[in-house]
Amino acid sequence: MAPTLSPAWRQRWPWAAGILAVAAAFGLQTQLYSGQVRTVGTIFMFVALALSWNLIGGYTGYASFGQVVFFGLGGYVTAALMTHAHWSFWLALPVSGLLAAGYGALIGIPLLRLRGHYFAVATLGVAEGTREIVTNLPDLTGGGGGITLPTVGAAASTKYLGNDGFYLVFLVLAALCLLVTALVSRSKFGFALRAIHQDEDAAAAVGINTTRTKVLTFALSGFLTGLVGATYAFQQVTIYPERLFDVELTVLMVVMVVIGGSGTVLGPILGAIGLQFLSEWLRQNYTTIHTLLLGAIIIAAVILLPQGLVNYLREARRNGDYSLLANVRRYRL
Amino acid sequence: MSGFFQATIYGLLQGGLLALVAVGFSLVWGVMNVVNLSHGAFVVLGAYLGWQLHSSLGLDPFLGMILVAAVLFCLGYAVQRLLINLVVNGPIFITLLLTFGLELLLVQGMNIVFTANYQSITTSYAGNAVIVGDIQLPLGRLLAFALAVVITVALVRVMSRTRVGMSIMATGMDRGAARLMGIRARHVYAVTFGLATALAGMAGTMVGVVDTFNPAAAGRFTLLSFVIAVLGGLGNMYGALVGGMLMGLVQAWGGYFLPGTWVNALAFLLLVVVLIFRPSGLVGKAFYSARLEV
Amino acid sequence: MKTPRYLATASVVTLALSLSACGSKGDAGGDAGAAAGVLNLGASVSLTGKLAREGTLTQEGYQLCQDKVNAKGGVKVGDKTLKLDIKYQDDTSKPDTAAQLVDQFNDQGIKLILGSYGSANTEAQAAVIERNNQVMVDSSGADNNIFAKGYKRTFGVLSPATEYAASIVKAIAELATPKPTSVVVLSADDGFSKRAADGAVKAAKDLGFTVLETQYFPNGATDVSSALNKIKGSNPQVIIGSVHLAEGVAIVKQSKELGIKPQGFGETVAPPTPDFVTTLGADANGVLGSSQWTKSASGKDDYFGTAMQYEADIQAKFKHEAGYHNAEASAACLAFVLAIQKAGSTEADKVRDALAALDAPSFFAQLKFDATGQNSTKPMSVIQIQNGKMVTVWPKDSAEGKLIWPGLAS
Repeated sequence: MAPTLSPAWRQRWPWAAGILAVAAAFGLQTQLYSGQVRTVGTIFMFVALALSWNLIGGYTGYASFGQVVFFGLGGYVTAALMTHAHWSFWLALPVSGLLAAGYGALIGIPLLRLRGHYFAVATLGVAEGTREIVTNLPDLTGGGGGITLPTVGAAASTKYLGNDGFYLVFLVLAALCLLVTALVSRSKFGFALRAIHQDEDAAAAVGINTTRTKVLTFALSGFLTGLVGATYAFQQVTIYPERLFDVELTVLMVVMVVIGGSGTVLGPILGAIGLQFLSEWLRQNYTTIHTLLLGAIIIAAVILLPQGLVNYLREARRNGDYSLLANVRRYRL
Repeated sequence: MSGFFQATIYGLLQGGLLALVAVGFSLVWGVMNVVNLSHGAFVVLGAYLGWQLHSSLGLDPFLGMILVAAVLFCLGYAVQRLLINLVVNGPIFITLLLTFGLELLLVQGMNIVFTANYQSITTSYAGNAVIVGDIQLPLGRLLAFALAVVITVALVRVMSRTRVGMSIMATGMDRGAARLMGIRARHVYAVTFGLATALAGMAGTMVGVVDTFNPAAAGRFTLLSFVIAVLGGLGNMYGALVGGMLMGLVQAWGGYFLPGTWVNALAFLLLVVVLIFRPSGLVGKAFYSARLEV
Repeated sequence: MKTPRYLATASVVTLALSLSACGSKGDAGGDAGAAAGVLNLGASVSLTGKLAREGTLTQEGYQLCQDKVNAKGGVKVGDKTLKLDIKYQDDTSKPDTAAQLVDQFNDQGIKLILGSYGSANTEAQAAVIERNNQVMVDSSGADNNIFAKGYKRTFGVLSPATEYAASIVKAIAELATPKPTSVVVLSADDGFSKRAADGAVKAAKDLGFTVLETQYFPNGATDVSSALNKIKGSNPQVIIGSVHLAEGVAIVKQSKELGIKPQGFGETVAPPTPDFVTTLGADANGVLGSSQWTKSASGKDDYFGTAMQYEADIQAKFKHEAGYHNAEASAACLAFVLAIQKAGSTEADKVRDALAALDAPSFFAQLKFDATGQNSTKPMSVIQIQNGKMVTVWPKDSAEGKLIWPGLAS
């Protein structure tokens, strides 16, 4: 019999791999130029965003098309606190996350009663509506003209972190999201989420409090997304509602998770890194047609790997069949 | 008071056209469970085709619309048959991704072929208004509204009276059973999508007459279609009409009573409220959300 | 024991990441360009996204400048002559991408940056420029806010935002007979438009007009009917629009639909753009616009000649009429070239000082920057669309034709 892993190792090696990856990412910073640091920092930002969406969309199966509302709220709360109340960024950051989580709980209670497409569009409506409300409170948020966080002179309560600083913050946020996802994935809570995804009525029948679980997950994913949004706002210095509540960000989160493999720990990470790398590389080398190529590549990826990369690898390993064409045949009409 | 009536009429006219933009999207989502993120791109493509026909051949856009519909039907059929049918059985949001990629492709393609210039189909008559008392009814919008209503009614007729229409409905209700009855699901799906894009194209041409457009406008139309389709209930044609007009009214009244920048907020608030209290839409039927699939 | 596949994969992935980074560190950096007799300027332009149209016009301006400079041999830096080579990147119309590109240019050793299109992108870039000790010449970010932050390394060749609509008001006050009395201001709600609207309201009040009301609508709206409906009752004689192209077209189009007939329209940004006339057709006639530059501008320089020559060059190379977006971009590039030649060096600090002290004539306008970096002494021109063509009507000394008033087409 071939030597196999001891049960203890089998349980622990993913944690070891995760810690190794995060440590490597810390070390990576010393190898990069300032502009590259910024680019990789943005990749970590998307990793965090994808992982946070994965909690509500991937595990629980409630695809939130309005996830960006937490991103924007986190950003604007930080902006308002730092600009008007002169708070330090380090204080505004957790508060923004908590307020975003609170918003998630608040809207989650009525919205999570809806299912499938209706939930998706309702969250989209909330996101767009929130953006419009933010645009219409110019005294607090600067409205359509944007708001500028104080980063120079005496008004700046926190020194601007610079590309290196933001790299570290985004990396820590990505690691935090990874940790949360890993913990959720292996816990009873995670099983509850998967149960709700597969058959919500049956889950309720076995005694899971589906409403409470869903709202909690929504708030948690909102918290994480809000933290990322707050950091983003500080990084950008001047923020506008149409950018911070941009529906394209939600779409990107969904694309990254689904291409990587939704409902898994590794899937969103691979999806985020892969997609960001690809779009950056295309944009730098094919300045005129990069969106065209990106669209074509996404179409190809979706047709060949409809279930996402990680799930495809799992199934292929189990069946011993790696053929992509067979994969296509499995899912087509 | 006449300002209020003017706003109301204008909003209704606008709403009719919006409904036509959204009806194809609603059809595809309701029947095939496909979320078509590239719907807005097809609308803009229709506008460009109508504009091209008008500027090269001098063809009046309301006539050229028919040609545009034919071309876009073929395009939509091909897209569904060759691309989307490949992933229809996959996890629920895979079609979303596919259409996202398609949208990038289409918008950038239009950017390259037609350039990013803003365009509009200028006709001699569209800007003139029929004046009824104190109210101005712009001719272009009036025509667009009338056509939108006519097309929607015709569509409902097609769906409920013709073989093609009924096979679409049947496949939408229960694909497995439909196949067992001899309906070729792949073909029916492709026809549905082609129909949706043809409708989008017609709406696009009309939008081109009353509005300015450029490739970047695609996203706006998709978002609008999302909202109106769900407002009216997925897969429900009359619902799309009602949803569209409601949207137009809300925007007009909101714009009249509130500062101009609150209009969009109101529209989305309406959507959320309707969804919370009537989740299957204003005119929607419950069975579309409990569909069987094999 | 057999290494589990996933652990191996994870290690390989992270290792690959580190290695690829090592590799690229060797490639990037250093002025490899300068050694080869080439001067690189970095330009992030909006080639895709909602600003694609204006971004392309900006790129055209930069490209023409490069041609003209290289036709004269290049940029004289001390005793060397370097060929000008502008490196373009697409910022997809997003301010954060525009800022990121400035950082990436910095990595490649490119310290001299030509601005992206629009105030939002330029503002984001200016912050990064200041941090990285680069230098930027801004071609199209007119918002006064950009220059109110104490930045020392960004210079704008264009007139500030507050002048955009105010100049139209001044032109009407000076030239229109009979002089109208009431004005309504319609504005998009982004920072630049609001700034321009405020400037218009102030100028109108100073010149004795009654400002009946100011209405706002969302930036980029193609349907401004609700705002128009609100002002219809007050029967304004002049409608001033502080807008961009889409809203500008909508105001004229929908006013006709709703039966609103002022004596004239005046709009920012939209009328001088070629698309304005092509989308509105005959309805565009009579509309006033303000422009950073028209082909009847006085002033000439050694590279572009006069404004008329510039117009002819753009027509020949790009097959359309020259717009002010082209001209301000070329002027920004020209400012860099002149400053570099004056400084005799491509070092960022020296170029920065040369720009601050620059005072040179050009086909665009006198290139001179005040203490905040803005070209505040530069006047704007007011044009009117007459028979489908742009005609400069103000200021009087560069006017090509007379103002037609009332300006409304039948």
